Amino acid sequence: MPISKSSSEHAVFASSTYGEQWAGPDGDRLTIALQLLQSQTPSTIQIDSFVNSLEYTPSTPVASIIESTTDWTVSPDGEFHLLASNSSFIVAISKLETISQWPDLSSTKPVDEQQKIALEDAWKNEIVGVSQGAYVSQSQHILAMPSRLGLHAQEDASKIVWPPRQLNEQGQRIAPASNRLDNAATILTWTRLSAVGAPSEFSLRAPLLGGVSTVLVEFSSGPKGVFMLADDEEGQASIGQTVSFEVRRLYGQDNLIHYGLKALLN
Amino acid sequence: MVDVAMVGAGQTKFGNHPLGLKGMWSEAVEKAFSSVDNDCSPSMVEEAFIGSIAFGGSQLGNTAALLTEHSGMDGVSVRRVENACASSGFALRDAWMTIKSGQADIVVAGGIEKMNDLSAERKRYWLGVSGDTEWERLAGLTFPGTYALTARRYFHEFESTHDDLVHVSVKNHMHGFDNEVAHLRKDVSFEKASSGAMVADPLTLYDCCPTSDGASAVILVADHLAHQFTDTPIWVKGSGAGSDKLALHDRPSLTQLRATQLASQKAYSIANLQPNQIDLAEVHDCFTIAEVLATEDLGFAGRGEGGRFARDGLGRRNEGDVTINASGGLKSKGHPLGATGTGQAVEVFKQLRHQVESPRQVRDAEVGLTHNVGGSGATCAVHIFGRER
Repeated sequence: MPISKSSSEHAVFASSTYGEQWAGPDGDRLTIALQLLQSQTPSTIQIDSFVNSLEYTPSTPVASIIESTTDWTVSPDGEFHLLASNSSFIVAISKLETISQWPDLSSTKPVDEQQKIALEDAWKNEIVGVSQGAYVSQSQHILAMPSRLGLHAQEDASKIVWPPRQLNEQGQRIAPASNRLDNAATILTWTRLSAVGAPSEFSLRAPLLGGVSTVLVEFSSGPKGVFMLADDEEGQASIGQTVSFEVRRLYGQDNLIHYGLKALLN
Repeated sequence: MVDVAMVGAGQTKFGNHPLGLKGMWSEAVEKAFSSVDNDCSPSMVEEAFIGSIAFGGSQLGNTAALLTEHSGMDGVSVRRVENACASSGFALRDAWMTIKSGQADIVVAGGIEKMNDLSAERKRYWLGVSGDTEWERLAGLTFPGTYALTARRYFHEFESTHDDLVHVSVKNHMHGFDNEVAHLRKDVSFEKASSGAMVADPLTLYDCCPTSDGASAVILVADHLAHQFTDTPIWVKGSGAGSDKLALHDRPSLTQLRATQLASQKAYSIANLQPNQIDLAEVHDCFTIAEVLATEDLGFAGRGEGGRFARDGLGRRNEGDVTINASGGLKSKGHPLGATGTGQAVEVFKQLRHQVESPRQVRDAEVGLTHNVGGSGATCAVHIFGRER
């Protein structure tokens, strides 16, 4: 979802389009921060206080998520600070270490209070669950993060390879990622899963959202991928339509939040 | 090289079974051995291959040893074979290869799954473990979703609509209605199957097979022993297997199963038979669109013609050149994951021996085929059986 932004003399601020009281069905301070960072000229940034503001622990280090998704460099001596209000879902980039006055950022999208509360409860319950979803090892999550969050792709014999692979058909190791896929792709096919058809990871939230949609897309450089659709309350996917991607919460498990790219209809 | 004959085959009823793993497996084995015309017992078995996902985590390790212990095959060389829903199709292939290679003369292949005594939540977890967990599942997909993506793309690429899938569903329910071991013995009208609850758009409840409990087992022997056990052995004329990328998005085509194509090409080649020589085929219709693809990938219909094949009723019992899923298929007979592949072989064994109760018998059945797919097409085993050696 596009973020709402404002700026002051010392900082630039952002919230979700739902305003300062909610980051959306699958958003949080980190997903807002990533979009804010992507909208600004990259530099170096300190994130210690921001990490402490997060409601739940991400499954992979925040610094790695930022560096996989944006061109910013996380550094303890960074030129900027990434900051978040503890009482609202407003995020800031500033050269100052603290923000003395957080702005009021109004919503451009109506909030369904009942749904908001129900979804917040669903996340709370989901994250304390143990292995309710198919298990992907933590090391695999970390190794694939640049591909998952930043669309980093490998190249093998002039062919763009994504998601990452190890060996080619000649048994040779494919070189590490050296490309980045476009943040746009075309829908080849799609489905909307009812709450019954959705994986157990999404079993608490899917009924509240009326199901979940998934698109299978093709990037212009060749690779294909599947992504959950986000912010599709008012639109339906169609074959041939283009999408772009944003980092959102995927699911919670073992007290960790897993993040990934979701597709947005253009 | 040694030829391989099937001399016995048995299975439990598929569905909500009151028995557990030991009970179901021993029932399938008991039926398989009692189907052998002359004296044959579990103690004669040299090797056993048992397909199972060990759904629910029940006896996840050493599953096969537990089962042979409780079915009179104590001490036999045994192992669990796991290739998702194609587990026992591959168990059958392993058994066939074992005899072909001369390592054993009497081998049991089978499969088992206990699925329906789990909570809905736990069941949904296990239903997703055979897909691509890292990319597909985290994009919201389980198999209904994956096959729904395939179906929508198929409708886009070819002159086909959801009505074609309804025809598959109606046919398989019609075939399964008279099958006493079928899970869903319901005659379903076109109107009813057209209006099922949506599971994964465009697939409805009537496009999806049920989750079933069940076990199945077949007895394979080397050619020199075949007539010791029966006057009417069913010969395993060809066996082929193949694999493909685990995730749908990694495959060049979204509307073909390369694993099926590779497996069937090998099986046809070994059997020296063509698709038009098959009288009946038990194909892996975990979702109705899967049967449409299978009719094409197995060579019964041309590329893009699988929808029309279903629409024209060409797979109905005794109406076209080949009867597709005389048993009711996974859609009606049921789908106890690990037991499905050898369950298909049990049906073909009976059909080719002309021992199926009326009106299910396929007329003049001489050659049959089984097609067992793992996941959304990552693995596939195809077998061709005949009355003639």
